[in-house]
Amino acid sequence: MLFKCIRAELMKLRRSFVWFACVVIPLIPAGIGTANYLFYRDTLQGQWYALWTQHTLFYSCFFFSPLIAVYCAYLWRVENYGHNRNVLMTTPVPLSCIFFGKLAVAAAVTLLTQLWVFALFTVCGKYAGLPGLPPAEILFWCLRGGLGGIVIAAALLLLCQCIRSFALPIGMSLVLTMAGFLFSNKGWSLYFPFSLLTAGMNANHYDDQLAGEMLRFLGCCGVWFLLFCAAALWLLRTRDVKA
Amino acid sequence: MKTAIETAALTKRYGAANAVDSLDMEVPEGSIYGFLGPNGAGKTTTMKLILGLVKPDKGTVEVGGVAVTAKNRLSVLRQTGSLIESPSYYGHLTGRENLQIISMLKDVPQSEIDEVLHTVRMENQQHKKVSHYSLGMKQRLGLACALLGRPKVLLLDEPTNGLDPAGIQEMRELIRSLPGKYEMTVLVSSHLLSEIEQMATYTGIINRGRMIFQGELEELRMHSQKHLLLRTQDNDSAERLLKERQVPCRNQAGALVLPELSDERTAGLIALLVREGVGILRLEEQQKNLEDIFLSLTGRQVSL
Repeated sequence: MLFKCIRAELMKLRRSFVWFACVVIPLIPAGIGTANYLFYRDTLQGQWYALWTQHTLFYSCFFFSPLIAVYCAYLWRVENYGHNRNVLMTTPVPLSCIFFGKLAVAAAVTLLTQLWVFALFTVCGKYAGLPGLPPAEILFWCLRGGLGGIVIAAALLLLCQCIRSFALPIGMSLVLTMAGFLFSNKGWSLYFPFSLLTAGMNANHYDDQLAGEMLRFLGCCGVWFLLFCAAALWLLRTRDVKA
Repeated sequence: MKTAIETAALTKRYGAANAVDSLDMEVPEGSIYGFLGPNGAGKTTTMKLILGLVKPDKGTVEVGGVAVTAKNRLSVLRQTGSLIESPSYYGHLTGRENLQIISMLKDVPQSEIDEVLHTVRMENQQHKKVSHYSLGMKQRLGLACALLGRPKVLLLDEPTNGLDPAGIQEMRELIRSLPGKYEMTVLVSSHLLSEIEQMATYTGIINRGRMIFQGELEELRMHSQKHLLLRTQDNDSAERLLKERQVPCRNQAGALVLPELSDERTAGLIALLVREGVGILRLEEQQKNLEDIFLSLTGRQVSL
């Protein structure tokens, strides 16, 4: 049933602006990051790693989390339109499948975004005249950031399930990401879900900040993920449906 | 009588007000049950309670003998189709894509899509984006979605709302054909008495959350008492003469209202009035129509 829910959710994304956002929005931080790198290339050391610090500085600060919020808000927006929520909630589908169907699609689009970001990073690096290909370690960071992104997707999906506004969760995600930086600066990045993304991507750092802490990172991702999923399912089960 | 839907003491509170108040509803299997009530009477809330969309504060609901509880949610929903607070649709998708989504979620074969499209006569519009549909087409699409999976029970909440007369007629005919075609029970709500009169075989009237009448439409008509309306050239004298002969009557808006009398008694009284020099202008038999009955039951105006 979960597979059918995922197929249904993917169908709802047909002709939607989600794909446009997924393709176009990462171009902005890639462009700004590359321009910044080219401007300061004499002072920046480390070639691909230096370019990575510039790309992630803007992307993880201002773009990634709101982008995930766009995906999640859209997935609930189609249900909030008219009285679609009544239709969805009266189909003979377990409530867990309804939520995880949406989460699986949000997670897939988030990972797809990360791969696109890495592709853009590679193209920008070649444009900036960097030798060879980016180190595999950066691809790993990118995908690890995607894992943090999935936790954020679970949190935002929960938020969008409760808040009918499309824009509010997007604004909130930006504020929460800023708050995440405060946690990161204090060294508590694993204890605030919106810091997991920057920690996972090793944003704005040359050396892996999670070296030797991978298990703790995975554990924290798991705990936050389960917490948000449990809260979303509890609300779906106990609250009246307001269409 | 086998019931398709049964509620007992069903109650739902919003704040201090009871939206649904100790409602006992029995929808006979295979019937078209017209659920009638003024706006805000609790029709939609009752339907949402039946479908488990809102949780009751008190009371029970059974659909096809299965109690509506969180545990039984799936088995109840498998036998129901619904159109609540319609219309509902994904406007950026085509009609067929909308049906494909519902058929996936209901786990019914895609081949059923053609069948329901034929039933609601929408084969030619299936590839158009739903946002370009007229309201009537959107309603028919909603009905097609509800029909997928051949549910045993269909709940339709004011399905003709906002439709033009031709659309209303078409929707009405469609609904009337469903029990015969799919062997299903239909619960259809409306605030329009004339509509229920033309569609339903059974009816329930709800007012301020309470069921004030439930039964066959004929039974409702029996609430109507016949009376005679007499207009004369001198109503005061006529009233005095009739009361002298123990005929209860009252003067109302320029006419005398008399109870139903036998033909012989009526003829005798008319002859008497003529003999006494009271000119008869008009004598007519009157019966309360459903509108009057509804009004007397609810004390509230209903739309026609």
